[in-house]
Amino acid sequence: MIRLVKICLAPAALLVISSCSSLKMDRVDFGWPVESVVTVSSANKIEDLRYSVSAWVAGLAQEEFQDSTALRGAKLRLLRSSEGYYFLTGPKFKHVYVFSPGPSSLILNTSIPVAEGGLRNPALNQRTPYVEVLDGDNFHALLTADDIVEVKK
Amino acid sequence: MNRILLLALLGATLSAAATAQHSDYALKSDFEDRYRQIASRLDSATATQEIESLKGEIEKLETDYTPHQQFLDKALYPLTFDESMAKLRSLQVLTYDRVYLIRTQGVKLSELEARITSLTTRLDSLTAQRDQLFGELQESRKSLTALREAVKRLTANLAAKDRLIFAIADSIFLPYGKDLHQVADLQKEAIGQRLDKANVLTRVYEIAADNVKFLDVTQLQGKDYGNLIEQYQAFTGRWAGLKEKITDVAATSAMVPTVSTRKGPAKTSVVRGGTKETRAASETAATQSAHVDSVLAEWHARLNAGFWGGLQKEFTAAGITVAPFNDGPSFSSSVRQEVASLAASKQDPQPFVETLWKQKVDKEWRDGLTKDAMLGKTEYAALDKLVSELSRETIDLTFIAYIAGVLVIALLIWFFVFRKKKRPDQPAPAPTA
Repeated sequence: MIRLVKICLAPAALLVISSCSSLKMDRVDFGWPVESVVTVSSANKIEDLRYSVSAWVAGLAQEEFQDSTALRGAKLRLLRSSEGYYFLTGPKFKHVYVFSPGPSSLILNTSIPVAEGGLRNPALNQRTPYVEVLDGDNFHALLTADDIVEVKK
Repeated sequence: MNRILLLALLGATLSAAATAQHSDYALKSDFEDRYRQIASRLDSATATQEIESLKGEIEKLETDYTPHQQFLDKALYPLTFDESMAKLRSLQVLTYDRVYLIRTQGVKLSELEARITSLTTRLDSLTAQRDQLFGELQESRKSLTALREAVKRLTANLAAKDRLIFAIADSIFLPYGKDLHQVADLQKEAIGQRLDKANVLTRVYEIAADNVKFLDVTQLQGKDYGNLIEQYQAFTGRWAGLKEKITDVAATSAMVPTVSTRKGPAKTSVVRGGTKETRAASETAATQSAHVDSVLAEWHARLNAGFWGGLQKEFTAAGITVAPFNDGPSFSSSVRQEVASLAASKQDPQPFVETLWKQKVDKEWRDGLTKDAMLGKTEYAALDKLVSELSRETIDLTFIAYIAGVLVIALLIWFFVFRKKKRPDQPAPAPTA
């Protein structure tokens, strides 16, 4: 009897599972046309008004400078790539941090080392499908969400 | 295959990057800084020469950043690059105008703007009232008194709107004097913007269209036409003057069309200067003016058809058959033919002279007929004289008949009196035995 019920319920379960499969929208472009220059507040918070993004950067300061207050007052460069990753860097940074968005959080995807001595005046440009990182005339590289594709010094 | 494509893409990207190794953010910021500087200098300018010189800087800014237009269209959101430049040009034009008016005419721009706004508000309120009156006109068809009242109020409303729209146009042009050829191009642009802001061309079109609608839905009497013809003529005259000025302004100003969802001339807005846009502006003004001309032609046709058709009906109602007429010359010819025919025949001219001409034409239609656009005073007087002579001939014949009758009676009296007087003279007959 139990076996008969199982046999009967199996197609119904399959039907339910197939109807619950999530809808997916393809070819979404998340890219911002231009980076945002955001100033770290005394409370270690950055906020971009145009795209309504805000985040706490104490953890990032700790990671990059081993000092959770090191970024206060600094101007950070934030750019979202066309794939949807957030690229973040700033003056004196040795890395470009790549985050993917999570529920109420930005989760570190990669930290890409770009300058051993630290960047002086960095900038991020949208160069779909890449993100370009510049440091004045000294450094120029194209990045993906995982690594450097091309470096030009 | 995919790898080749990826390499090609990478190559293309690197090549683009190699030619433009700059910070997009810095590019955007530089543009915004230069933009702000020009805007700030315009704001504080007190001399027209200073403002005029900034035109070159605006053009340079545009030239410098046009290669980055695609990027700036996105980065300057919510405005595009073109819109940002148009805003700056517009600021320059308005500033020039503000400074010029204060310096030369003593007119404060704010006062001028306030006057235009006040007139526009009054016009809008009359438009709302018009809608209500058209509704009343439909409802009051059953009662002749109510219908006449509705027609009267609607006529007054339309006449007030006619006056107001041209008052708005006058307010816009007045500070610049009569001769627009003396006015600088920048000021013409300012006039163009003000005309656009007050939506003058669309309003002129709408008012003319209202008059056409009024003629369509209203049963008019002969005496109504005098005012209506005057109103049409005044409107046409004022429009001719305004059209000439608008054409002059459009030839130099930078008006280009925007999307219009309603019938009538498209609304215009100032976007940017340059030859291409100027051509577009003058073409747009020409198109809009052509729309107004076309609705004016319709107005004229309806007015003529209503007038001559109504007059023809009076003839038919009086039982007078004349050759059909649809304008002054044909009406004149028909009346002359009828007079000649009545004079030649022994037909009684009374119905034509008394019932039709004196009671109807002269009482109700004279005001309309004497307008130059219809028949004219001279021709009407000539026709009236002709018809009166027809009437005098009738009176003369009657008078002669009366005289003849009196003479016959006098003759008879004389005859009988004469006979009575003669009787005693006759010898008495001899007595018979």
